[in-house]
Amino acid sequence: MRPLAVVPVRPGAPPAALPAIEARGLTRVFRRGRRTLAQRLRRQPDTRERFAAVDGIDLRVEHGEIFGVLGPNGAGKTTTVRMLATLLEPSGGTIHLCGVDALARPRQARALLGAVLGGERSVYWKLTGHQNLEYYAALYQVPRDATRGRITDVLAAVGLSDRADDYVERYSTGMRQRLALARALLAGPPLLLLDEPTVGLDPQASADLRERVRNLSATGKAVLLTTHDMDEADRLCDRVAIIDHGRIVALGSPAALKRAVRATQVVELEVEVAEPDEPGLVAAFAQLTTVAGSRRAGGALQVVLHGDATRQLVPVVVEAAWRNQAVVRRVDVIPVTLEDVFLTLTGRELRE
Amino acid sequence: MSTPDGLRAFGATARKEWRTVRRYLANLAFVVFWPLVLPAVYVLEARGFAGGEARALGAFAARAGTAEVAGFLYLGWAVFIWLTIVLWGPGASLRDEQLRGSLESLFLTPSPRWAILFGSAPAHLVLAMAMLATVGLTLRLGLGLAVGPAAALRALAVVAASVPLLFGTGALLGALVLWLRDASGLFMLLRGLFTVLCGVTYPVAVLPGWAQATAAALPPTHVIGALRAALLGGARLAQLWETIALLAAVGLGLCAAAVLLLGRVERHARHGRGFEWY
Repeated sequence: MRPLAVVPVRPGAPPAALPAIEARGLTRVFRRGRRTLAQRLRRQPDTRERFAAVDGIDLRVEHGEIFGVLGPNGAGKTTTVRMLATLLEPSGGTIHLCGVDALARPRQARALLGAVLGGERSVYWKLTGHQNLEYYAALYQVPRDATRGRITDVLAAVGLSDRADDYVERYSTGMRQRLALARALLAGPPLLLLDEPTVGLDPQASADLRERVRNLSATGKAVLLTTHDMDEADRLCDRVAIIDHGRIVALGSPAALKRAVRATQVVELEVEVAEPDEPGLVAAFAQLTTVAGSRRAGGALQVVLHGDATRQLVPVVVEAAWRNQAVVRRVDVIPVTLEDVFLTLTGRELRE
Repeated sequence: MSTPDGLRAFGATARKEWRTVRRYLANLAFVVFWPLVLPAVYVLEARGFAGGEARALGAFAARAGTAEVAGFLYLGWAVFIWLTIVLWGPGASLRDEQLRGSLESLFLTPSPRWAILFGSAPAHLVLAMAMLATVGLTLRLGLGLAVGPAAALRALAVVAASVPLLFGTGALLGALVLWLRDASGLFMLLRGLFTVLCGVTYPVAVLPGWAQATAAALPPTHVIGALRAALLGGARLAQLWETIALLAAVGLGLCAAAVLLLGRVERHARHGRGFEWY
């Protein structure tokens, strides 16, 4: 893969010593439901329920860092990234991008960031890849004499040089996503915001995109990405903020977050047990080790146990099940993941 | 952003739009086929009703200011089709971007909003001019209407003055439909309103008084009237000058209003749910 050409620093660019993103007390309140035209015309008070999609979060992302915002659907990830991208006005809090107050000077802030929002749909399918980039180069004020070279560079950086003159409608989903990334890189911004960049991609295309993001970070760019894929956050991010109901419930490197689970391994059990015997069985497991979660699915009880000496734990657990008139159908012993961190912190699974 | 950067963004948007438009030959068929066929139906209908009788033609001329029934109908439909091009082109362009998923990407750029708002107009202006040329050739060659160079120049002056008016209307609607989150319903309503009130197929004089007053407040009525006066009524430039100036002034006002409205809509979206919500 060809490394991205170094982009000249703009005149008046903020010093790199300032964090790429600094957000404090970021809050966004929405109202549920819709206000009818009749209500508006009658000037009736707005009685719709208010809820905080993002509830006072603090973020600090340094240059050269890949920062992940991990959470289930509806946790507030996309709202957060849209506020950082100046597309939504926060209800409260402050945002500084490379030292620029994004709320007071949104246009100046926009010039500092490249964003991939909306994925493959955000590019023009009826134009070629090159034509897409040519258009955005004009909108991003890339100097005319530098446009051709810049397009060549970003196409190479995302591995689309040989398909530049094909219509985007003939691209695969992964290629369209990479084109959207190329567009975000056009103006050489110090900061990239990527909203669910690998959604809809096959494993190979996802791995390819992650590799390219890693390379961009190595050039000094700060990358903030949202994902609900724990594996992606684990493999790609230097630090991860786990977000739930609009709040950061944990923040740190993936390794540090996993250490917080206080277990090295996880035992996942599928147990056949009558519903009335279920509480007794879970209580019996709890006497042996930490029960991180349990739920009934497909007529069986799924139990997640945290522990260290899992090799010794498994026979004891099976015996406890037998004593409680239950049959263990399946046992999986796996390393701790960010999914377990989320489960420990919220009592819910990321996929719920 | 400086004006040259803004003009460059405008030019790039126009080129992007044209590249998309030219990929669909149906667009060309629309601007050539419909201006030929649609008015012809009404011309035949008029012949069926009046049978070319002198008394009927005299009554028509007294109300319409010309006895050229075919020319009257062709010019009325020409402006109507132009309006249709404007509504579904620049009028719907931002909404199309929103539905496609590319609007947020545009609003993430530091480019001025006017460049994005009006950038789609030139491609559709080409289509509109092709359509008007089709109508002109049909009138001259097909219907044998005597159009001299002076009349043609007067008609061109009316068309030129109407460009900002029609595309300003399109831009204003383009910003409005982002807020309303619906284009089709509004456009159907407007097309119906223009068809009934603006004298596309009959003289405005046959409408009741209140409807005539409403028609007078609608800019397309004046475009149609001025075009007919220039080509069919034999009006001189001095007689048309006032209308031409009014059309141009209202057009520029509409363009300015469209830019202001888009700014308002953008602020509204930033305080609301953003542009991703449609």
